[in-house]
Amino acid sequence: MSILIEKLIINYPYFFAVILLVIGALTVLTRSSLFKKLFGISIMESAVFIMFIAAGNIRGGTEPILNGHNTGAVYINPLPSALMLTGIVVSVSVNAFALALIMRLYKTYGTTDANRIAELRKEVADR
Amino acid sequence: MSSVTANLPVLVVIAPLFVAFILTTFARRIRLVEGLVIFIGILGFVGAGFLAANVFIKKTPMIYQVGGWPAPWGIELKAGNVSAFFLLVAAFVSVPVSLFSVNNLSDEVGGKERVTRFYVLYLLLCGAMAGMAVTNDLFNVFVLVEVATLSCCGLVSSRNRPRAAEAAFSYLIMATLGSTLILGGIGFIYIITGHLNMGFAHEGINKIWQSNPHVVWMAFSFILVGFGVKSALFPLHVWLPDAHSAAPSPASAILSGVAVKGYLICLLKILYNVFGCTLMREFVIHRILVLAGTVAIIAGSILALMQIELKRRLAFSTVAQVGYIIMGIGLMNTKGLSGTLFYLASHAVIKSVLFLSAGAMIAASGKKNINELAGIGRKMPITMAAFTIGSLGLTGIPLFSGFIGKWNLIVGSLELGNVIPAVVIVVGSVLCAAYLFPVIRVAYFEPVPEEDWKDPRLTQKIALISLALAVLILGIIPGPFLELAERAAVELLALK
Amino acid sequence: MKDFILKRISAVILPFICIYGFYVILHGHISPGGSFAGGIIVGLSLIAFATVYGMKKARAELPEKALVSIESYGTLWYVIMGLVGIFKGVPFLANKLAGVNVGEQGTLFSGGLILLISAGVGIRVASTIVTLFFALVEDES
Repeated sequence: MSILIEKLIINYPYFFAVILLVIGALTVLTRSSLFKKLFGISIMESAVFIMFIAAGNIRGGTEPILNGHNTGAVYINPLPSALMLTGIVVSVSVNAFALALIMRLYKTYGTTDANRIAELRKEVADR
Repeated sequence: MSSVTANLPVLVVIAPLFVAFILTTFARRIRLVEGLVIFIGILGFVGAGFLAANVFIKKTPMIYQVGGWPAPWGIELKAGNVSAFFLLVAAFVSVPVSLFSVNNLSDEVGGKERVTRFYVLYLLLCGAMAGMAVTNDLFNVFVLVEVATLSCCGLVSSRNRPRAAEAAFSYLIMATLGSTLILGGIGFIYIITGHLNMGFAHEGINKIWQSNPHVVWMAFSFILVGFGVKSALFPLHVWLPDAHSAAPSPASAILSGVAVKGYLICLLKILYNVFGCTLMREFVIHRILVLAGTVAIIAGSILALMQIELKRRLAFSTVAQVGYIIMGIGLMNTKGLSGTLFYLASHAVIKSVLFLSAGAMIAASGKKNINELAGIGRKMPITMAAFTIGSLGLTGIPLFSGFIGKWNLIVGSLELGNVIPAVVIVVGSVLCAAYLFPVIRVAYFEPVPEEDWKDPRLTQKIALISLALAVLILGIIPGPFLELAERAAVELLALK
Repeated sequence: MKDFILKRISAVILPFICIYGFYVILHGHISPGGSFAGGIIVGLSLIAFATVYGMKKARAELPEKALVSIESYGTLWYVIMGLVGIFKGVPFLANKLAGVNVGEQGTLFSGGLILLISAGVGIRVASTIVTLFFALVEDES
């Protein structure tokens, strides 16, 4: 048991990432507000970003910039951070696109609740 | 000339993207835009054909190092048989689809100025598909998947209806969920191997999977579920029918025909080129795939039977057909894999012709339910003939392209000594006939209405005829194409 | 907004924020940051301009057409820089291999094409951020 807790403490970024991932997935799947679905997606993406960046980190390492002062130091792995920058760009574009769609839906239906929109659509279809 | 050949793997990806960003300059001159799109489509097809011929004759994959950096450090593109095969399919289907949308879109997307936006997204999707075919780098897979997803959502929402915006939103949310899981899966592979290049990741993961079985499990499950959402594998398909039936018809054709296949090719590449056969057997992934495939075939077909709207029925049929492909991926023998690849190609062509002809019928008549289309076959002979050829092909009648794929799948599953997939394929074909033939019956054998329904314009006829011909040609003389599929299967199985 | 102090102070500060953004873009290859981070800074300074001086004035300064063409040409610029390699007979996006003078390590003009690429991408990111802001704020029509 103590080994498990020790492992959790040592690997806390991963633990954190798992919690965030679950929170995000639950939010996406259970909330009917379109905004909350979008927040859930963002939280899930952040969880994966944290996992990647934690994987690239080396404790006690320095930033991987060659400047003449830190020769021989341990560098952290810059690749995951660079990759996650791309991931963040992607997530920004997803957010922007989703917000634009939410605005369009709000203009049409006057609400941002997915269940309410489904009801309204049914009413329109019945008429 | 040789420099063009050597650079082909990157050029097929760059060319559509390049044109996509030029298009906004000519936003007002729609004729020029459409001409450019068709031109780049044909150029892409020629390029893909050239690449495929090159791979086919030389029998070695073309490896391309972007920026001149060698593999573990730089990004590598690899055009092997699988890539050449899918590239050819995607490039072929995109030409008739763009031909079909000439002069046809402004009603559906709501205004002339939006047409250019549609084409920009369309070309981005084509570029992403080509990229998925040739990439050999795991992170590139994620980026291209995202590019494809965003442009798909854009294409769906480009239809000027509130329903399209709603479908696009749910598609966006589900698809982003999927790509987040894919990124997580790639992350797990990267964490335990330290490589993003598929070849190096394969070596790494085969060395250390025994000490980290849980991480490999996580990677497998994240990637399977992620790509399952993306490619609408049965229980995860909920976004597809809305999205594909709400999109403008050319967009539905390209989404159902090619975009879904792009994700499947990525899944195939990751499963076979990164994890490899040993790991798949060890973790029983192939059984899971076969099971998921059989369930998807039956459930998708039954759901399709229950639809009364034509485009929705076709969309649910895609769910069933994805089942065949997933099942074939799990068979893990040459026959099964070549069958699944050939089926993927034939479904790309067939679903495009079905969606395009359905779109033409719906546009001409203004009706979207199947029983309202009574007698349309007499009024629109060419459109309905194309639809009929497509449905015969999808059902798997001999001499049509679907048959060869299904036959190989059946042989592949019998080789394994497993009867259930074979039975399910046959049952699926019967169900497919049950949901597609009523359309044909209603269209031809019901009394002809008085309405003024006409075949579409010449360009659209050409698009329909060329796709229908492709269904027939693939069915009668599969020849080199089938051989390319077989070689691709051998290439996939060669990695242990 | 008619706030005098806000307008004066932002008139003094915004040019410096903008210049700092360009500094980050151009030094992307020798220090932390780069085209995305710098582009965001430039874009945010423009957004601050729009919020302080009002949408109308911002629109007059940054017409939609210009933003859209900057966006597409920024991406095109990247592709063209990549094609330099192909025209020189070496792979796509090649830098030193293509015979570009990569300069001395640690100075601004090192890294060859990377400076040019990140300049294009940075401007593109800035215009994208501004376009997104405008699209989400102006919701009449």
